[in-house]
Amino acid sequence: MIRENSELLIEITDLHASVEDQPILNGVNLKIKAGEIHAIMGRNGSGKSTLSKVIAGHPAYKVTSGSISFQGINLLELEPEDRARQGIFLGFQYPIEIPGVSNLEFLRVATNSRRKQLSHEELDTFEFEDVVREKLKIVQMDEAFLNRSVNEGFSGGEKKRNEILQMALLEPMVSILDETDSGLDIDALQIVAAGVNKLAKAETATLLITHYQRLLNEITPDFVHVMAAGKILKTGNKDLALELETSGYEWVDQEIKNEAGNS
Amino acid sequence: MKASYKQWLTSLPQPSGLLEAIQRKSRKALLDMEIKLIEDDSWRLTNRKQLENLLKLPLDNSKAKQEINTNKGLARLPSKGFRLDLNGKSNCFDQDKLPTGFSVLNSKEIKTFIENQSKNNINPEHWSIAINNASSNHIIGLRIKGNDIPALELVMQAKEKEFIPTRILIIIEDKSDLELLEVLVGANKSGQSHMIDIYLGKESKLQHGLICSGRSESNFLANVIVNQEAFSTYNFTSVQYGYELGRLETHINQKDGNAKTNLNGLQVSTGNEQLATYSKIHFNGPEGHFDQLQKSTASKKSHCIFHGSINVPKIAQQTNASQLSKNLLLSKRAKIDTKPELKIIADDVKCTHGATISQLQEDEIFYLRSRGISAKQATSLLIEGYCKEILESLPVEASRWGILTQILTSIQE
Amino acid sequence: MANQTSVAEIVSEPYKYGFVTDIETEKIAKGLSEEVIHLISAKKQEPKFLLDFRLKSYRQWLKMKEPNWAELKYPPIDYQDIIYYAAPKQNEKKSSLSEVDPKLLETFDKLGIPISEQKRLSNVAVDAVFDSVSIATTYKEKLAEHGVAFCSISEAIVEYPELIEKYLGSVVPFSDNFFAALNSAVFSDGSFVYIPKGVDCPMELSSYFRINSGDIGQFERTLIIAEEGSSVSYLEGCTAPMFDTNTLHAAVVELIALNDSSIKYSTVQNWYSGNEKGIGGIYNFVTKRGHCRGKRSKISWSQVETGSAITWKYPSCILQGDQSIGEFYSVALTNNKQKADTGTKMIHIGENTRSTIVSKGISAGQSSNSYRGLVQIGPKASGAKNYSQCDSMLIGDQAEANTYPYIRSQQPESSIEHEASTCRISEDQLFYLQSRGIGFEEAVSMMVSGFCRDVFNQLPMEFAAEADKLLALKLEGSVG
Repeated sequence: MIRENSELLIEITDLHASVEDQPILNGVNLKIKAGEIHAIMGRNGSGKSTLSKVIAGHPAYKVTSGSISFQGINLLELEPEDRARQGIFLGFQYPIEIPGVSNLEFLRVATNSRRKQLSHEELDTFEFEDVVREKLKIVQMDEAFLNRSVNEGFSGGEKKRNEILQMALLEPMVSILDETDSGLDIDALQIVAAGVNKLAKAETATLLITHYQRLLNEITPDFVHVMAAGKILKTGNKDLALELETSGYEWVDQEIKNEAGNS
Repeated sequence: MKASYKQWLTSLPQPSGLLEAIQRKSRKALLDMEIKLIEDDSWRLTNRKQLENLLKLPLDNSKAKQEINTNKGLARLPSKGFRLDLNGKSNCFDQDKLPTGFSVLNSKEIKTFIENQSKNNINPEHWSIAINNASSNHIIGLRIKGNDIPALELVMQAKEKEFIPTRILIIIEDKSDLELLEVLVGANKSGQSHMIDIYLGKESKLQHGLICSGRSESNFLANVIVNQEAFSTYNFTSVQYGYELGRLETHINQKDGNAKTNLNGLQVSTGNEQLATYSKIHFNGPEGHFDQLQKSTASKKSHCIFHGSINVPKIAQQTNASQLSKNLLLSKRAKIDTKPELKIIADDVKCTHGATISQLQEDEIFYLRSRGISAKQATSLLIEGYCKEILESLPVEASRWGILTQILTSIQE
Repeated sequence: MANQTSVAEIVSEPYKYGFVTDIETEKIAKGLSEEVIHLISAKKQEPKFLLDFRLKSYRQWLKMKEPNWAELKYPPIDYQDIIYYAAPKQNEKKSSLSEVDPKLLETFDKLGIPISEQKRLSNVAVDAVFDSVSIATTYKEKLAEHGVAFCSISEAIVEYPELIEKYLGSVVPFSDNFFAALNSAVFSDGSFVYIPKGVDCPMELSSYFRINSGDIGQFERTLIIAEEGSSVSYLEGCTAPMFDTNTLHAAVVELIALNDSSIKYSTVQNWYSGNEKGIGGIYNFVTKRGHCRGKRSKISWSQVETGSAITWKYPSCILQGDQSIGEFYSVALTNNKQKADTGTKMIHIGENTRSTIVSKGISAGQSSNSYRGLVQIGPKASGAKNYSQCDSMLIGDQAEANTYPYIRSQQPESSIEHEASTCRISEDQLFYLQSRGIGFEEAVSMMVSGFCRDVFNQLPMEFAAEADKLLALKLEGSVG
């Protein structure tokens, strides 16, 4: 929801980043305020996922220039875990499997590290189990998942629900959901979307990264950005997403060509 | 053992020709290190008595030209390739008969290659290599260039009560590929020492099969030495059966990593036979691939040995290696020893190995019997299935040698 | 997982057991000879059969060569430069703890092994060994009510000579190997456990070994006998001060399990491992072997090996009784310049015997960590089964992990399965944990404990958490 005077949460200014010396982001500008839902669309290789990893602080991505501030803090100076503790959450496109590490233990340690940052009391094992049981309902997950290793042997849908469960537990300020809809059937998609909607609050913001309209049917964005060649090319409201769905991305290529011709 | 072994070494014909220097060197080394052999782990399980018998056999020093495409009552000639008989008694043959894609290496090229052997992670004093180095009087070197060239079949036929060393060097040029089938054929109370050096150029490919088909009281020691340049592929399948004492050693060196190596092996031992496979792979660069499946079955009072070693030094990051040793123990008096071994220093690698020893599954036999198949037939069917997985990876031309039938007969006798 | 303390807190601590207790010690002169053995035996007022055993062992040792087949390289040990007997000066072992030198009690308190009446653990009986002698054994009386004998081996030699004569050296003969022969000649003290027929030992038994003097060798000897239908769980812990020199530790442990009995033997080994440059640390050459003599008997080894500069150790099971069971669960962690060559031997002799091996090796720094195991199925062991799993984790690109499984079968009606893998902690796994707010060191530690979970589950409750903390501590500064 767009509101006047709401707090500026994230401000990305002229962000350039590269992987293995290959530039991927070429000057991204983006402002996200509290209460807003943003969607970034674009084709494979446009830099969408890179942007999400850079915000979360993945070590393989090097920021070459530009800045990201979060509630006035310079995010780029923080370690990934400190960003998470501050309230940045990245829902991964491919959540990784970590054999041997119990899901429950992982969720508890993560939750407590966020609570500590917020000066909340840390939860002991028993208290935590009550909390997590409550949150499981949001994503309609079975308790049995808690006793397995982190994401190990989970189906695609189960992994994504586990991501939303973490989001529910960590209560982030800004949630970035990277292709959360990929690999989900329609039922799972609705569960995940309902979870995201339920967790959205007036003080927090959501950034959806997606290919397709179908997630945006479930979660209505306030802003839609189109990314190409490492930049945000165009920004509009939810109608822009519908337009992309019908007319495709060809015009994007044209714009890039035009831009190249102009400069 | 010491006395007879020494006697054997001194009974060898005087060193001469192209290999004179290496012969002298290796004979001296062998005399010096005999004691060490006994302590070396890789010889601990070897049937010493049989090894002694092997090293009593005299070496015939007569000369005879090597022949191309003559059939001496063995399997018929290959249809899409040609056969070269390697008798170890000369290094001349009708070079005009060589098809396109094959040429003969000159003595200077061969010499350079042999002198460089020790630089490629091969120890010329390694016992079994040294035996061949000490006794081989002749070597043939072939250069292979091109694709879709005829397949090469090398036949090394033993002679009764005689020791025959054979040696060949094959260089496969960059981007070339070859299908090679080697067949060792044993004879009554015979001994063979075979050594093949293979050099695979960049982006080259070799499909290599080695069949070791023994007769009563025949023995062999074989060494396959392979140096692979980056982006080359080496597929090797070995099959051993019928030898009283058989020992195959494979030494692979991925010179700059980035190459693919697949090893498949089958040993089928029966009677008092002892068959052994020792394989070593060294990754001298990153991103190497290695896949090995070694199968053995041991029946009667026989003994199968497998020792596979994978060496991944620090330079070999992102190596992906897997090794599996599967064994069937078919009799109460048979023995199986297996040792799949990993040595890893690089941290970003994926290596797995495994080993199983078991007998044929009772419920599988029962299932077949419940369909009216006799116990004997059921066993034979299951062993056939077990061996086929390896036999199918031999070069296509291998089928002429009728190995499966021979293997199954040998087990049932 | 029991570890709730933040790793960051733990990793900031150096080896915390590195202190030296200032206590007057009685030492004999350096060197080894028949006279020295006479002297040790006389000091311990031993019966003649034991002196003879020692002398026989010594003469055998003189004829033996130090083994060199392991992946361990260390400078030669000068066996004449070692003191073979040292004891804190107190007249005799005290009958009551109140008479023990308070400095010694304080030492064990500091090590987290309280033995004084007020503080001791309620369900664990402890035998505390300081240098060459046992200084106290707790709960002796309570155990005696159940007929359980738990005391130092020196006391057992006096009180139960017939058991000692019958069983000492019956599992590990004095001629077994170089270090076992040396131990048999000069062993100083250690623990003795005897569980009578049909008794389930009412509490955990534990021995705690402390090397205090820098120039002595520690040669303890442990003997555990479980009579028919009995069971016992035993744990040993070890620490030593930090010295720049290397200290030799060559222990022998023998376990005997009769029909339907079970012995569970756990070790948390944290000898001083030397500094990051590889200076100092304990040379740990240990022979541990269990003999499942009776039908349906069971011996289970679990070990967490984190200390020592050199570890040479292969706790083994001889599965003689039909349907007997052998188990080996091991975590070996090496860091800096540590070298460990450890594993097990499972010798299947009886019918339907079973064994399980789970080994987890973690190598960090410039260390080398080797698994060496033998599984042997003899011709009479029909129906025998073995399952082995050996996993290695490498941290950093200077560490070395080796696996040497020897497998031999002479019995078709048996099955052996061996699996092994090597992995590393991937950057993506670390990032995933970090992106959920979990700190770097803690993320590593979580993954290492996850890797070791199968083994930790086998440790007695009280020590699983301890082991977990120990690993975190040892990994300090090895990642990143």
